[in-house]
Amino acid sequence: MTSDQTSTAGTVISQGGVAETPDGLITVGKTMPDGEAMLSVRNMKKVYHTDGGDIEAVRNLTFDLPQGQLACLVGPSGSGKTTLLKCIAGLLAPSAGEVTLHGKKVTGPPKSMAVVFQEYGRSLFPWMRVRDNVELPLKNAGMDKAKRDELVDNALEAVGLAHVPKSYPWQLSGGMQQRVAIARAVAYQPQVLLMDEPFAAVDAQTRADLEDLVRSVWKKLGVSILFVTHDIDESVYLGERVIILSSSPTVIQEDVLIDLPDERDQLETRSSQRFSELRHHVYEQIQLAKKGFRPEDALAK
Amino acid sequence: MSADAPLATPVNLTEAAGGPGTSRSAPTSSPAKKSPGAKRAWGAVKGLFFIAALPVILVLIWYISTAVGEKNFFVPTPALLVETFFETWTGDRITTDVIPSLTRLLFGIAGSIIIGIVGGLLIGSVRWLRALTEPTLEFFRAIPPTVLIPVLMLLIGIGDDMKVAVIISGALWPILLNTIEGVRSMDEVLADTTHTYGITGFNRVRYLILPSAMPQIMAGIRQSLSIALILMVISEMFAASSGLGFTIVQFQRSFAIPEMWSGIVLLGIIGVIMSFIFQLIERNVLRWYHGLREIENAA
Repeated sequence: MTSDQTSTAGTVISQGGVAETPDGLITVGKTMPDGEAMLSVRNMKKVYHTDGGDIEAVRNLTFDLPQGQLACLVGPSGSGKTTLLKCIAGLLAPSAGEVTLHGKKVTGPPKSMAVVFQEYGRSLFPWMRVRDNVELPLKNAGMDKAKRDELVDNALEAVGLAHVPKSYPWQLSGGMQQRVAIARAVAYQPQVLLMDEPFAAVDAQTRADLEDLVRSVWKKLGVSILFVTHDIDESVYLGERVIILSSSPTVIQEDVLIDLPDERDQLETRSSQRFSELRHHVYEQIQLAKKGFRPEDALAK
Repeated sequence: MSADAPLATPVNLTEAAGGPGTSRSAPTSSPAKKSPGAKRAWGAVKGLFFIAALPVILVLIWYISTAVGEKNFFVPTPALLVETFFETWTGDRITTDVIPSLTRLLFGIAGSIIIGIVGGLLIGSVRWLRALTEPTLEFFRAIPPTVLIPVLMLLIGIGDDMKVAVIISGALWPILLNTIEGVRSMDEVLADTTHTYGITGFNRVRYLILPSAMPQIMAGIRQSLSIALILMVISEMFAASSGLGFTIVQFQRSFAIPEMWSGIVLLGIIGVIMSFIFQLIERNVLRWYHGLREIENAA
């Protein structure tokens, strides 16, 4: 099922494969033997039923996320990235196929999962101060005050916001608001963190800082992160792996291993030759997807 | 529109030429350099001016039109009215009429708020309940509460509970409908966020639904206050033996014209005090909302 290639300079390692699915012969992402993956997505399909007829947003997605991995999902706009994320988060029910977390089927938002949304201004409670926002999920879970305080302090410290706990979110800049949302997710101590284009609405300089923040939080916590983005550079810079989605109806077009050194640096990494090779490759694939290239058609030939 | 435009330009020009120039030539005496205490005092004086200016003008007009020329039996002079006001409303009437009226008003408002918010939260959150109740609510809302008074008199008698019921039957609607609307217009991302963090049941109502609907709920309460006051008076005009509405009608029927006017003034004062208390509470409850709006408007 998996067809790994040996790494040579300039070539890109595709870890995906081809599988026979209910939807025909289709390219899939890297999968692991049963029971080993933390998060499993199997033959996931999503069809929206509208008055104007059915819309097939996602055709078939199959991939695994091992414990502690940082994977980026990238695809052309309208490729059903958010739909996929909402299905994984248990906010939407897939039309077919399933999502499992630790072998248990996801039917509603799982306890060990946190989501950071793109719209930071709409995901923080405007009637609560920064600290209360971060604390609320813990309070709701019935955690005692001392433990809560410690987690909240650490989380705010980790995102560099220890100095504004008494502010309201809307008094902060966009980048800082997104930091609050990240702090809230961090304090919640999830095993899987889903991020839906979290930096799409912040300016470029802030975005670079936040990217490094995500890397550092990921390393510190050992959490698995699934990071959805439309930004190709961001996906290559952040991930250990980039899953490229086709245009809608979505399938996995390619699952690329990002074999960049573990220590990433905005200047060094981004100017390295390997970075530009990988970036080049992902860019080409996205361009193909935009032109309507269908991986399953290529397989049929 | 077009007539205003040429007027605006010269005003702006004089401001631009005179305003900053004068303050630059005399920086030490500019009001900005005053101590914070003096500044606050000046602000208070200014605030007082804006509150008092219009009432003073209205009283002046009233004074001129009543004191000058022939006496009018139906319109007392300001001096007579003030005198009558204190004579009428400082004695026993406080306990026999004012307090009972205010108590009914308070129970009516409290009842409307509780029923309106609880009902609104339920109807707004449960889809089938909304589909079930909405046409019926439109029907009941359209009925003027005053026509219910005879019906309610037959059903629950002529006591205080009838009067409270009349107040609720009218004051309930703005709160109920606004709460439903506030719950329905919940931000989807915020709802998703709450859902992913496993915040459900009562905590969802407490931390998400209620605060998020609060701006609309407060707008509903504001409308309900004046409706409640009106209905308090009207309910006391039917089959009552005490209360402001009852007393004012008594004065009117016995041609005690200055006394009647003094009752009307008292109703106005109650309205002003209610609105003042409401604003004080609203400013505290919705501090976040006003701050957020200010920032959004500035951006």
